[in-house]
Amino acid sequence: MSLENLLGNWSQYRKGHEEGGFHDYKHLWGMAIDLDICIGCNACATACYAENNLAVVGKERFEKGQAMHWLRLERYWDQNELDHPAQGASFLPMMCQQCDAATCEPVCPVAATYHTPDGLNAQVYNRCIGSRYCSNNCPYRNRYFNFYSYYEDSWPEPLNMQLNPDLTVRDKGVMEKCTFCVQRIRVAKDNAKMENRPVADGEAMTACAQACPTNAIVFGDYMDKDSQVAKLWKKHQVKLRLTKQNKENPELRGYRIFEELNVDPSVMYLERVREEV
Amino acid sequence: MSGKIDRRNFLKIMGLGGAGTALGGCDLPSTVTLEEGKEEVVSYLMPEEYVIPGVGVWYASTCAQCAAGCGIHGRVREGRVLKLEGNPDSSMNHGKICMMGQSGVQAHYNPDRIKTPMLREGGNLVAVSWEKAVGAIQEKLSAANGDQVAWFTGTLSGHQAALVSNHLEALGSRKHYIHEPINASVWQAVNKDMLGEAMPRLRLDKAQMILSFGADFLGTWISPVHFSGEYAKFRKQKRRGLLVTIEPKMSLTGANSDLWIPAIPGTEGVIALGIAHQLVKNHSKDMSSLPASVQGLINKYDAATTAKIAGIDEKRIQRIAELLVERSPSLVLAGAPVEGQAKGYASVAAVMLLNQLLGNIGQTIESQGSFPFNQLKAKTGGTSDLFSFVETAKNKQLSVVFFYGTNPKFTAPKAMEMDSALNDVPFKVAISMFMDETSMAADVVLPAASYLEDWGTHVAAYQPQQTAISMQQPLMEKLYAETRGFGDIVLDLLKVAKKDVYSAFADYYAYLKNAHAALPAEYKEAGMTDGDAWSAALQKGLVNVATGSMSLPVKPVSFGDPAPADSGGKFAYHFVPSARLGMWDGRHANLPWIQEAPDQITKVVWDSWAEIHPLTAQKLGIKNGSIINVESEHGTAKVQAVLIKAIHPDVIAIPMGQGHEEYGRYAKGRGANPLKLLNPVKEETTGELAMYATRVNASPTSQKEVVVRLGASDTQAGRRFVVTVPVEQYQRTEGA
Repeated sequence: MSLENLLGNWSQYRKGHEEGGFHDYKHLWGMAIDLDICIGCNACATACYAENNLAVVGKERFEKGQAMHWLRLERYWDQNELDHPAQGASFLPMMCQQCDAATCEPVCPVAATYHTPDGLNAQVYNRCIGSRYCSNNCPYRNRYFNFYSYYEDSWPEPLNMQLNPDLTVRDKGVMEKCTFCVQRIRVAKDNAKMENRPVADGEAMTACAQACPTNAIVFGDYMDKDSQVAKLWKKHQVKLRLTKQNKENPELRGYRIFEELNVDPSVMYLERVREEV
Repeated sequence: MSGKIDRRNFLKIMGLGGAGTALGGCDLPSTVTLEEGKEEVVSYLMPEEYVIPGVGVWYASTCAQCAAGCGIHGRVREGRVLKLEGNPDSSMNHGKICMMGQSGVQAHYNPDRIKTPMLREGGNLVAVSWEKAVGAIQEKLSAANGDQVAWFTGTLSGHQAALVSNHLEALGSRKHYIHEPINASVWQAVNKDMLGEAMPRLRLDKAQMILSFGADFLGTWISPVHFSGEYAKFRKQKRRGLLVTIEPKMSLTGANSDLWIPAIPGTEGVIALGIAHQLVKNHSKDMSSLPASVQGLINKYDAATTAKIAGIDEKRIQRIAELLVERSPSLVLAGAPVEGQAKGYASVAAVMLLNQLLGNIGQTIESQGSFPFNQLKAKTGGTSDLFSFVETAKNKQLSVVFFYGTNPKFTAPKAMEMDSALNDVPFKVAISMFMDETSMAADVVLPAASYLEDWGTHVAAYQPQQTAISMQQPLMEKLYAETRGFGDIVLDLLKVAKKDVYSAFADYYAYLKNAHAALPAEYKEAGMTDGDAWSAALQKGLVNVATGSMSLPVKPVSFGDPAPADSGGKFAYHFVPSARLGMWDGRHANLPWIQEAPDQITKVVWDSWAEIHPLTAQKLGIKNGSIINVESEHGTAKVQAVLIKAIHPDVIAIPMGQGHEEYGRYAKGRGANPLKLLNPVKEETTGELAMYATRVNASPTSQKEVVVRLGASDTQAGRRFVVTVPVEQYQRTEGA
């Protein structure tokens, strides 16, 4: 592709995903996270460690940025604060946004990271060769690389007995990331299939959403118009496949982080609210 | 069971005595049989028919990671418990648990569990059989004066509490020391005097405004998961609830406030009186029912006087008073920084007085109602028992002490001389899952089963709208054959101390099952057999309890001037041993998930640190990551400095939890223990340790470290990750 071609057709490239692509999803798992009632308590992140066999790396490796927290809780201070953060802190639960036009997917040389028919951005550990291109390309920094074999350090016996048999323990050289608890989705889908009925809202639930003490994280199927998550997206007039939301009421709180990059994230955040006293 | 036990005694043995409520349905002779207990003991270990390999089954139990008593469900697969989640039927936590609750599996599967009993022989603890360990204990018990035997525990409730009480009573001792470094003891004492009830029910969901003086109800105060759920309701009201926090160092609750005001610890009472002054003078709130001394204090603290002492702008005090009147009903709370002063009681009383003036009592502060089973109620404690234990031990009035669920050797300030007090106790028995500092000093160590392997009942001190007895059942077989459940250990002691009564129970399971059968008929569904009712209780994880309705009669409480008196001498800074949700008082320092989880405010992992305001740090020549010495009259802590604006410039804070000398591979030798630095100052009215009354100095060393934390940037650098909108906009779209 010549530079001339690229620049000449730039707007078309940017719109490419909005207009074309695979959209015939049966399920499209999404989230809505209300940052006004997220209290930053870390229950979600710890639940993620418990559910997903996340390795504990220790202080030295944490310092090098090698922590494996699929869901990390960011804390920001306001920039205009004077001597004190008078309006408290801003908390942000940040996990894989399961982008519909994920920038990590096309760069994988071995197709280890791919898009599932459920709209999930999946990582096939057996295929991964550890090029780390995907991680470089993730604007959210939500991909975590196994620089070491953690299974001995992280789970000395009998801690290994806690490991969730529904998913693997990843070995050295493999990229890993949040899966929206695909094993829990799997169980819900299988149960529904066995009983010959659709998956009910709330039946598939990520560990983080399950744990959240304030119910700030809502998880569900965007294609199920009656699901709580679909209703929230609709209520806040946030739509998929847009690089810029075109809300009737721009005061509604829903927004997606980095949607202007045309990655089409499946997580909608609701703005934090503060009252000036 | 022998026939000579009368009904009243029977109920007492079953932990159901005391309150004299109608227990008409209790079916004494037929339910208490040894055979039944024996028969059922093994049954739960046998796989049920519906257990399918590869399919997880969820069982209900109760979390024991703190004293809040949340209901849990544990996922069991192939005989292993894998994941814990909240019990959706529990009105305490509605299916949610916090990071500590999630980490319970790491306590259970911890590689540093104690696997066998140990006995001190020739100065060293050596592994012995249970027979030998128990033999040694019984030998000492029979040689000791009954009243020189004591229990030293953390919060206990349910039948475990009943058995410990009954054990002490059988020996003729009244010495039960209860210690929790993170507590609400002074607040409870004020409530007891002011409302007649130590632990009233708080309706955060009905409050239009919450003013919290350091009560970290989202993080570390009383029942954080319950309050977090209520907090969400508080924010989601038609008019979004307003949260204002006043505290020395930002807590998790402070971080979620609309307005966070840093305050010097010890000035909160004055600020509260300053607000009371505004309420009375400018908002015509009635203080005529208050004692003259309190009226005098309210008159004294006009805006100017308050502002001068507290260092808070006059207008701010007036504005808060205005808001409290405007946003009625409100809720005003006092936490550890307010309690932890020599005049802590007066300060908390001044804060609670605001609820009285604002008419919040009966609105957002309700009675819990009367709980029918006195013996099962939570036995809560704070820090005053540290003093009484040390004094009694030093007077050589303790010959045998049992320790469980507490680690005073770690949590007592150095100046209290806990080490030498422990040396003065000739025989110490530690019942513990881990070799913590106290267990290392014991003469006998009994390996406790984890709470996921054990039976029990729990009645948390704070009960939500639906009061309940929460059931604890084993979620899997014991990992180590030589460990024993706490209830079984106490029951075995009672089988010796009161053989005629307790030898009837094969084990604690049989005892609990019989105790459940002895509950009044209304606690079981009509037509159910005792066995079915027991299974139903285990399945649900709780037994709902009807409480008697009670009102909260407000009694005038007089208190002294809470203004801080001491100058601190050569020590310039106020010291805050802050509490973290996760690490708690240090009991969770041995859980790798907790160590690797970033502190909510500073985001630091795996270490201790001192929080210092950048202005103060500049004055002292301290940079972010500088290794500094924080020095009090009684000790020095060497820690890395973390510069943060979310702290009062006159305050230096080191979080509790690290600095273990023992306690397994994850905790040992990591960081510093701020509790060791504290001055042994007593709160004047309650005798609690004034934990926030110590002064320190800080000085840099030549060393510096990289602070290991999550996130490289403190701000969003202009990007829109977390967008904040004004409440007016929110009210237009989502409010009413």
